[in-house]
Amino acid sequence: MSDFLSELGAFLADPDAWLGGAGLLVRTRDHVLLSLFAIGVAALIALPPAVWLGHRRRGGVVVGALVNVGRAIPSFGILALMLPISLALGLGIGFWPTFVALVALAMPPIFTNTYTGVVEVDPAVTEAARGMGMTGRQLVRRTELPLAMPVIWTALRVSAVQVVATATLGAVVGWGGLGRYVIDGFAQGNDVYVFIGGVSVALLAIATDLAFSFGERFVLPKGTHHRDRGELTSSAAV
Amino acid sequence: MRYHRKGVIGAIALVVGLVLAACGSGDDAEGPGTTGSADTTETTAAPDGPAITIGAQDFGESAILAEVYRQVLENAGYEVSIQPLGGFRDIVLGAFEGGDINFTPEYAASMLEFLNEQQGEATGDAEETTELLRGYLSELGLVAYAPSPAIDTNAFVVTPETSEEHGISAISDLAGHEADLTLGGPPDCETNPFCIPGLQDVYGIDFSGSFTPLDAGSVTVQALEAGEIDVAVLFSTSGIIADRGWILLEDDQSMLAADNVVPVLTEELDQAYGEEFRALVDEVSAAMTTEDLTELNRQFDIEARDAEDIALDWLTENGFVDG
Repeated sequence: MSDFLSELGAFLADPDAWLGGAGLLVRTRDHVLLSLFAIGVAALIALPPAVWLGHRRRGGVVVGALVNVGRAIPSFGILALMLPISLALGLGIGFWPTFVALVALAMPPIFTNTYTGVVEVDPAVTEAARGMGMTGRQLVRRTELPLAMPVIWTALRVSAVQVVATATLGAVVGWGGLGRYVIDGFAQGNDVYVFIGGVSVALLAIATDLAFSFGERFVLPKGTHHRDRGELTSSAAV
Repeated sequence: MRYHRKGVIGAIALVVGLVLAACGSGDDAEGPGTTGSADTTETTAAPDGPAITIGAQDFGESAILAEVYRQVLENAGYEVSIQPLGGFRDIVLGAFEGGDINFTPEYAASMLEFLNEQQGEATGDAEETTELLRGYLSELGLVAYAPSPAIDTNAFVVTPETSEEHGISAISDLAGHEADLTLGGPPDCETNPFCIPGLQDVYGIDFSGSFTPLDAGSVTVQALEAGEIDVAVLFSTSGIIADRGWILLEDDQSMLAADNVVPVLTEELDQAYGEEFRALVDEVSAAMTTEDLTELNRQFDIEARDAEDIALDWLTENGFVDG
């Protein structure tokens, strides 16, 4: 144990471990960037149809079932499937297969929660809005979307944390990121690496969660905030 | 919300039942299916002793070797099964420690270097290397039987195009080309004395800057095929090298040591069964050659035959069982 601790100390004290192309900072940066990219694209693909279907209150069950099938396929499997496709398309190993696997992971929760969030907007409110003369699009933009925002934001938050944790898989197909520590550590029998990999991903996941939590105050319409002992919390269920 | 109490209890009972059933069957080692192999002539009843569980790592050759030993021992009346493992040595050692396995086909030089933390003690001599290995194994309560003449070491492979373009046919030809070429191989390459450090020490070739870590096997093969890497670290008995017409670079300065196949097992197993058991295992090990292993791998990788069938055929051809 003391061997491990002294090796860990040596690793953390070594500037090369932090800086340089294979250092902790670069890998963290790559990890964050890919995760952001994947979440962004997943949201771009999943949000509009989910909001529209929720608004129209139709098709949700079918699409939801399809999306859940996607959720059931393990990311590792998608990664393995994507590798030859990526190579055939000339996109190489590493980044693109991992990206696709992460987008596939992120979409289902974003879709289903957004759909649910929009559907569950109080019908009395939507009726009142229509009574005020709002068109469908105005209804979505000014009533349903803001009211569903807490649920949507939570969906994005949960998805983001999952993506950050799962991006470690990319190391299996030659990508970098924090998963490198885990995979290389395992292969080389380097416990310090494995530890660093695990802990840094965990910390990053927590930081992601906190970031979304902080972002609530900018994204959630003021009327949906509840003050609970002075803290801002959203009224959303996970 | 109203719900039917009996329905809920029934559902819970069903789930619990399924879970228990799954847990129960988890004790059985998963083999590649039931053995249809030779329950032929009555052999001497096996001596009493612990059941043998052979660990097989997740690459074809390991599965084939595990099957070979399993079928021979079963034919001789021993109780034996196979436990699939992951692809890292840590898992193998953990499995020994936890009692999940008590026998596994290993590789003398690589296991030695893993246990001595890459000191570079392995030599080109199988006996010498195995003796050194035994020293480390005894600390773990393990023993090694006689090494086989069959060797499977790291292979540095390039496409014919790369070979022609840079005039590379042996490992030493890679010198000076590190900047132009990317090496791709298992993540342990950076510390494995038969990979990057070995290239550095023996050949003066430094690939540490242009190395892509890839899961060994299929991923590395795909990457070489697509030109994502230029030099692939594969295994010398791999059937894929010949099948794709790739060039296995000659180890002209003998960096690669005696990675002979060697059975590693627990002291308990060795002591429980003694001489007859050891003689049988050694006989099988002695009969396996590098050419044989390459051909068996070819059947696995290219013809996609089952490890069980491949092993049975080899054992039959070599007179160990009556197929």
